[in-house]
Amino acid sequence: MVRKIIASVMAAGLLAFAGGASAQEKPNDPASYKFGAILAMSGKADWYGKVMSRAIQLAVDEINAKGGVDGIPLEAIIEDHKSGVAKEGVSAMNRLISIHKVQAVLTSFSPPTLAIAPIADEKGILLLNGGGTSAALLKASQNMFHNRTLASDLGLAAVKWAETRGLGDMAQMVWKNDAGESVAASAQPYWEKAGHKVVATEFVELGASNIDTQVAKVRVSNPSWVGLWLFSPESGLAIKKLREFGVKAPLIGIEYTGDIKEIAGSQVEGFEYASDYFTPSDEYPWSRDFAAAYKARYGEDPEFYAANYYENVYVLAEAIRRARAKGGDYWDGRKLISAIRENPVFDSVYGGSMTYQSNGVAKKRVAIFKVEEGKGKFVQYVSLD
Amino acid sequence: MDLVIQLLLNGIVNGSHYALLGLGFGLIFATTRIVHFAFGSIFTFGAYVAWFVSGYMGAPIFLGLAAGVVVAMGLGVASYVGLYQPLERRGVSPLIPLIASLGLTIVLENLVGIIFGTGARTIDAETSIHFLGPAFFTSIHVWQVVSFLLVCVLLYLFVNYTRYGKAIMAMTDDPEMARVIGIDTARVSILVFALGSALSAIAALLVTLKDGASTHMGFTAVFMGFVAVIVGGVGSLRGAIAGGFLLGLVESLGLWKISTEWQSSIAFIVLFLMILLRPHGLFSLARR
Repeated sequence: MVRKIIASVMAAGLLAFAGGASAQEKPNDPASYKFGAILAMSGKADWYGKVMSRAIQLAVDEINAKGGVDGIPLEAIIEDHKSGVAKEGVSAMNRLISIHKVQAVLTSFSPPTLAIAPIADEKGILLLNGGGTSAALLKASQNMFHNRTLASDLGLAAVKWAETRGLGDMAQMVWKNDAGESVAASAQPYWEKAGHKVVATEFVELGASNIDTQVAKVRVSNPSWVGLWLFSPESGLAIKKLREFGVKAPLIGIEYTGDIKEIAGSQVEGFEYASDYFTPSDEYPWSRDFAAAYKARYGEDPEFYAANYYENVYVLAEAIRRARAKGGDYWDGRKLISAIRENPVFDSVYGGSMTYQSNGVAKKRVAIFKVEEGKGKFVQYVSLD
Repeated sequence: MDLVIQLLLNGIVNGSHYALLGLGFGLIFATTRIVHFAFGSIFTFGAYVAWFVSGYMGAPIFLGLAAGVVVAMGLGVASYVGLYQPLERRGVSPLIPLIASLGLTIVLENLVGIIFGTGARTIDAETSIHFLGPAFFTSIHVWQVVSFLLVCVLLYLFVNYTRYGKAIMAMTDDPEMARVIGIDTARVSILVFALGSALSAIAALLVTLKDGASTHMGFTAVFMGFVAVIVGGVGSLRGAIAGGFLLGLVESLGLWKISTEWQSSIAFIVLFLMILLRPHGLFSLARR
């Protein structure tokens, strides 16, 4: 009898052990973690594709040099949306899914990102955006996470800074696309609600080479300041032209890049802008090491776009690590998304950590910079609350 | 009123630029009947070569201009001799050189990026600002207008008083007849590709000094040159000039009361209206 009881207890123990083992199923590892990146590799805005793809490759090489993610290498497949062409983005997404079987895609630019969002939802693909800034991206997909402050928030930070400075009537030059218009959509109501006028709204095409008419109209509107809701390189051209044509009012924008500096030349001095705050420092060794590695490899200092896409590769690697810890068929976009939502805190190359909010946007510091001697000097943080 | 004067001034400056492009593109198109869309990429090449010599190496601007013109002429001639002429000899339909031209555009555009890098490029030049009543203009604007006028005078003298100039005019009227009366049409074609490309390089240097260069600047250049030619009338150099100025003035003054978001549509609207109302252009009928 006693033997039977002992045998039963042992059998129960073995079953319990076996049950425990099945809950912690062995992970089904792929040969490599293939992920896609849909960037502006050609077309009018190929500068973005260049810096983003460089940063991605740097991060992949770093991770693989340390043995990959839990011993499995990362593999980036770069596709081209030809500087924001939505249908090119869709073609690229379909290729990435059907040919390369990717589970995660790093995306950029608002129009192609909006176009691929429904595909990502349907196929369960994780989307990491580090460049697209349109407010419309917020509602585009449940599978998307952003480590780039959206343009509407940057615009809000810029007008808040103008308010802090006690500036009056605003003229605005707006990129004629979703990103530019979403900045105007947040900046203009705020400024008018604060009791000021918007005396001119002039639109600039992506890739515009002639904006003399817009500048002439801004000039005669005699604004207290000019909001430049433009991105690279058009904001450089706008700065150069406004100054050349005698507009002395403060110019406040939402981006400063090497191309803007090149085109605006010495006229860029005094330009103020709201931006994600990427400044490598000894205080944050990861930021310093990334900047040093990027410069050593490409001969240029990294901009925040490079920082965002570098960081996104590390976010993906960490999400894979967390999903893999649960075992089973973890190499699945939906599992990666769950891993991020369950614990939305990730190390940030900007310093410290970042937390993805419920809307998918990582809360980062937005700062105001002023260009002095060609370099953006930190002025102060702006609260968007 | 201040705005109208400024816009008028902008229109004249931009019109000079478009007219110069129209002359370059029109010279090639009218003489050879080849829609040479790679004209835009050669324009870009001219800009980057000028930047390399004057911006990167720091040589005087006239050397940058000379280098840009020489390289553009070389590319123009090479594109005719290496691509269009063999197609002509095979007697292909006009659609084939057009497609070949689009392919060449992509090749040259990528080549610019590979050789010079894809970033924006500028040339530091001392510019002075001048006033005309309430309106502003810079010394670069003046150079754009003066260069255009200079080119017009030289081209007028060349076309009317030289043997090759007269041969070009004969080919624009009737290439077959020109061949029948003994004009070496192949040689004249090479000449117009060289001349047209040289004009594109002059326009490219000036726009680089004014706004900077990018690898994609060629599309707007060839498009505006094409519209200027169609609006002015194919085969007429006077027409290309008139078309360029009309385009510049409408693009600038047209936005006086209209939102600037319509800017890129204006060239198309002018083109559509001309095709509908005067399909032969402003000057083609006058020449006949």
